[in-house]
Amino acid sequence: MNTMSRLLRMLLPLILISLHDPALAADPAAPAASAQAAAAPAAPAAAADAGAATRSLDEQIQGLKKDVVDLNKDLFVLEEELLFPANTQVAVFVSMDVGDFFALDSITLKIDNREVGDYLYTPREVAALLKGGVQRLYLGNLKSGEHELVAFFNGKGPNERSYRRAANIRFEKGVGAKYLELKITDHQRAQQPEFEIKDWE
Amino acid sequence: MSAAAPGPAATGVFALVAQPASDFALPAAVGGNVRLSEYLGQPVVLSFWSSRCSLCAAQLSALNRYYGTYRSAGLIVLAVSVEDDPQRAIDYARAHATSYPLLLDRAKSVGRAYGIERLPTTVLIDRSGVVRYVHSDDRAGDASYVAQIRALLDDKPGAQ
Repeated sequence: MNTMSRLLRMLLPLILISLHDPALAADPAAPAASAQAAAAPAAPAAAADAGAATRSLDEQIQGLKKDVVDLNKDLFVLEEELLFPANTQVAVFVSMDVGDFFALDSITLKIDNREVGDYLYTPREVAALLKGGVQRLYLGNLKSGEHELVAFFNGKGPNERSYRRAANIRFEKGVGAKYLELKITDHQRAQQPEFEIKDWE
Repeated sequence: MSAAAPGPAATGVFALVAQPASDFALPAAVGGNVRLSEYLGQPVVLSFWSSRCSLCAAQLSALNRYYGTYRSAGLIVLAVSVEDDPQRAIDYARAHATSYPLLLDRAKSVGRAYGIERLPTTVLIDRSGVVRYVHSDDRAGDASYVAQIRALLDDKPGAQ
């Protein structure tokens, strides 16, 4: 498998480094030897060699770190593909626009009358949404057919009063992945927040 | 009781030592919601308390002192109330002006996730989000607390 071969490729340099680099070898005499070497007058050429070796080791470590990050990304994608195959996948996203009339505190999500998510928003997360960020609130599996999603929005409405509203949508889950978006917008004329659920066809 | 490394029979909250701290989001008695993972990169002292627990008041007051001293170095203190009645925690927060957030765990979900069995319990989390020390008694005035907090602060960000 591609992931396995990447893992092997990633580990191979580490093994080679540990075999060839005296600094990484588990030799108990090494610290004493290096102390003696440090005590002796160091020749400039030897110092330059040591510097180059350190740089080379640093580069290899950086390369390994990059490989680990890449591998982690691949594993994450693989995990999502296995746990949430496209034919049953349902994802719910949240977006927020302006936010003058509503300060979001939490969203509770129900699909087919079963609570699937309850998310509490910190001021930092709300700020990210207001800057245009889109959050994936829920990722799950649903069989094909008709379903109902209900979202409860809690927060502070106009005049700092507690505000709780619900929005719902009935949707048809087909063979492909289904994406739904909870949109919170300001209705300027009514001076009220608006909650809408959009089906990304 | 306290622990810095999990023993063979570590149970409850002590089993968390050297494990990644479980993430949570809770409302604060005053101010907005707080999510633990937002403090990744900073050492966090997580103290579980209740207004009915007489030792907890001394614990919170000691943590207030430490927070005042080490706040500028990046220390975060979060006090999680596992009160049956959240109003008592809110009243306490109003009566005792703590400088760190007092969080309300109404459903006790965070208390359960951390396996809290007695109060006060304090969990010290390092910069990489791993539980390093656990105390299940009131010894916040103890010098070992300060030493452990300093050890967490001395860790270089991203060193692990």
